[in-house]
Amino acid sequence: MSIEAVKADKAASQENWEPKILVFACNWCTYAGADLAGLSRLQYPPNVRILRVPCSGRVNPQFVIRAFQKGIDGVLVAGCHPGDCHYATGNYFTRRRYLVMQRLLEFMGMDPARFQARWISGSEGPKFQQVVTQLTQDIKALGPNRKLRDME
Amino acid sequence: MNQHTVKMRELARELLSSGQVSLVLGWEKGNLWYKSPPVFISRVEDVEKLIFDEFCHNNLAKYLMDLVHHSGKIAVFVKGCDSRAINRLLQDNQIKREKLYIIGVPCPGLKDPDDAVGKKQGAEVKNSAKCATCSYPNPVVYDALLWETVPVNTTKAPVEELIAKLDSMTPDERYAYWTEQFSRCIRCFACRNVCPACNCRECCFDQAEPDWLGKANNLSENQFMQMTRAMHVAGRCIECGECERVCPMNIPLMAINKKVARDIAELFGECAAGLDLEKRPPLGHFDLNDPEKFM
Amino acid sequence: MKTIVKSRLAELLQTMAQDFRVLVPVKSETVSQFVPWQEGLTVNLEGNTVLPPKDIFFPQTEKMYKFKVKGSSVDIEEFAEDVQKQVIFGIRSCDMQSIDCLDKVFLTKGYEDTFYKTKRDKTLLVALACTKPQDTCFCESLGLNPLEASGADIQVYDLGDALGFVAKTPEGEELLAKYASLFTEVNAVPQKVEGFNLKAEVAGIPEKLAKMFDHPIWDEVSQKCLGCGACAYLCPTCHCFDISGNVKADQGYKFRCWDCCMFSEYTRMAGGHNPRPSKKERVRNRFMHKLYYFQERYGQLLCTGCGRCIAKCPVGMDITAIIEKIKEAEV
Repeated sequence: MSIEAVKADKAASQENWEPKILVFACNWCTYAGADLAGLSRLQYPPNVRILRVPCSGRVNPQFVIRAFQKGIDGVLVAGCHPGDCHYATGNYFTRRRYLVMQRLLEFMGMDPARFQARWISGSEGPKFQQVVTQLTQDIKALGPNRKLRDME
Repeated sequence: MNQHTVKMRELARELLSSGQVSLVLGWEKGNLWYKSPPVFISRVEDVEKLIFDEFCHNNLAKYLMDLVHHSGKIAVFVKGCDSRAINRLLQDNQIKREKLYIIGVPCPGLKDPDDAVGKKQGAEVKNSAKCATCSYPNPVVYDALLWETVPVNTTKAPVEELIAKLDSMTPDERYAYWTEQFSRCIRCFACRNVCPACNCRECCFDQAEPDWLGKANNLSENQFMQMTRAMHVAGRCIECGECERVCPMNIPLMAINKKVARDIAELFGECAAGLDLEKRPPLGHFDLNDPEKFM
Repeated sequence: MKTIVKSRLAELLQTMAQDFRVLVPVKSETVSQFVPWQEGLTVNLEGNTVLPPKDIFFPQTEKMYKFKVKGSSVDIEEFAEDVQKQVIFGIRSCDMQSIDCLDKVFLTKGYEDTFYKTKRDKTLLVALACTKPQDTCFCESLGLNPLEASGADIQVYDLGDALGFVAKTPEGEELLAKYASLFTEVNAVPQKVEGFNLKAEVAGIPEKLAKMFDHPIWDEVSQKCLGCGACAYLCPTCHCFDISGNVKADQGYKFRCWDCCMFSEYTRMAGGHNPRPSKKERVRNRFMHKLYYFQERYGQLLCTGCGRCIAKCPVGMDITAIIEKIKEAEV
């Protein structure tokens, strides 16, 4: 077993292991949606770290790979619904890019469920709650990510 | 001397002596019989250096980016794959069509120089793996076509078998396979530098700020580099197979590129890069009705 | 001469591996390189490795020291390196010469590189004579003897079915004496070396290059270079490195890693100025360093004629052809 696997196993065996989930939230919709979830006192798992980006189209594939390298167990890219993009078309490009990216991750041996994309608008606080809760449960079931990790 | 070479020299001589072009990009013969490196010809008397044989692997379109400020017109010999690179560079506004005289050379499929190492000239040499899946041996853009077009071969190439084999593996087996491949990478960047899809003014891997790619050679950084490259050339890769040919560590890079190209075709319809100047690269535009599998 | 039949080579290596870390040339489907001996490996006695042995002494990435910030001071700790005594078996004359070049860089002129020295000092070199040069070999033109490597502790000769061992240093003699029971004493004459495909005349080249910094030849030579690092990373003598760090919060470590003068960021300075802005300057530097600067500083060329760069250059750059061009150039 590689050092990588040993370390990850150790992490998994720790009862208090909690997944780290990174959410790239678009400033105009999903970030507002997350804000609304908070304002409405909706409970959602504290495993998510929200990183605000101007548009889901801003999310570079390298951000996603880096996240996995640096210890994230699941990544969510979330933005405005098709047709609602603040920049008119940014999310359509996101859609194409990440359909391809998810398949590439799968081809490299990653579990594609660790990488998700969703449309969450500014009024969809409950949807934000539901998506991140579901994602957290899914990632918990998958266990800690051992792949692409930077173990240095 | 073969007939192809004779025709090449004839046309090159005519173009240079009439002043239609001031530079010809072609291939020559060096010290090794199984290598035909690129040559830059600007004087009529050097036309005799030009050759065409089964080892003319280099995609000369890549050099056009070095020559954007060249005064005068440039003649460039292109095989099928190379011609797709020309279209790609034209689409990306890297080169100007009016500065080019494109000479199409229908390509019969090339030989593998690695297999020729140690053999005597004229010995039996394997076909190059990269040419086995070629669907476009005939140039798609040219001002002159030097000889008759060749039939398209439809055999199943080793790379297709490799992709099928990988697809049938479990994720962990697949990860282990790529781990083994990427851990060999010495980060010489030959794959990037030979690639006509890699035409950024400054590559993100060369940037110091932000420091996208760490300088340490370890598995994680190598994975980062190769996956980034796969995404960056997605939809722009013309499948010339040069990256895999030049990799000194023999990493099967075309398995990744072919797989991504196939995924894109499945998701967004057929859109092979560099065939149609009017058709934008698949990740450079969108359709309102694109699939929403995991949104 | 002490000889051992080739079929018993594995036995010798296995016995040696009990006392040393033994590195042998191995060819796999994908690459050939020096790897630590393990039972079951097949030693490749044909041709040279694709990867040179330089990374045994000078790894591509090498950690130097770790640090931790404590208040206003920094704790610095070196990485304890456990270097075993090692034997490199089957190293060719060209690569032996490259180790001589590296020794000059890392151990002379008043500075000793400890990272290099710790590994180098504990290494015994068992050279293997070449009888069949590869298509891209030209070591003979550079004054090397493919049958007789300078600096080796033991020279091994290919005798057809057997290998003959001759000690060249007291350490080598000691090593052979240690495993004497495995050898048979035979009167044998080493095979002769076959002809070379490539040749290069280097006489007068360094002197000529001294006057060729601004020569138009570099425009021509650099034209087809793609600026990748395959040549430098496969070169047994290229030794440039960069120092970089990995920092997490208040702690981290420094490491050094190979660098290559063909890359644009190699000479890029803070602020963005680059004194070697295009591939012309970079290619010029590469060949000047190999054929002139190194000669001027250390009295020998920084090329050993191994031919790896010729074999693997994506665009077929050929140092022998470039030497020829320099020779013919009008100054």
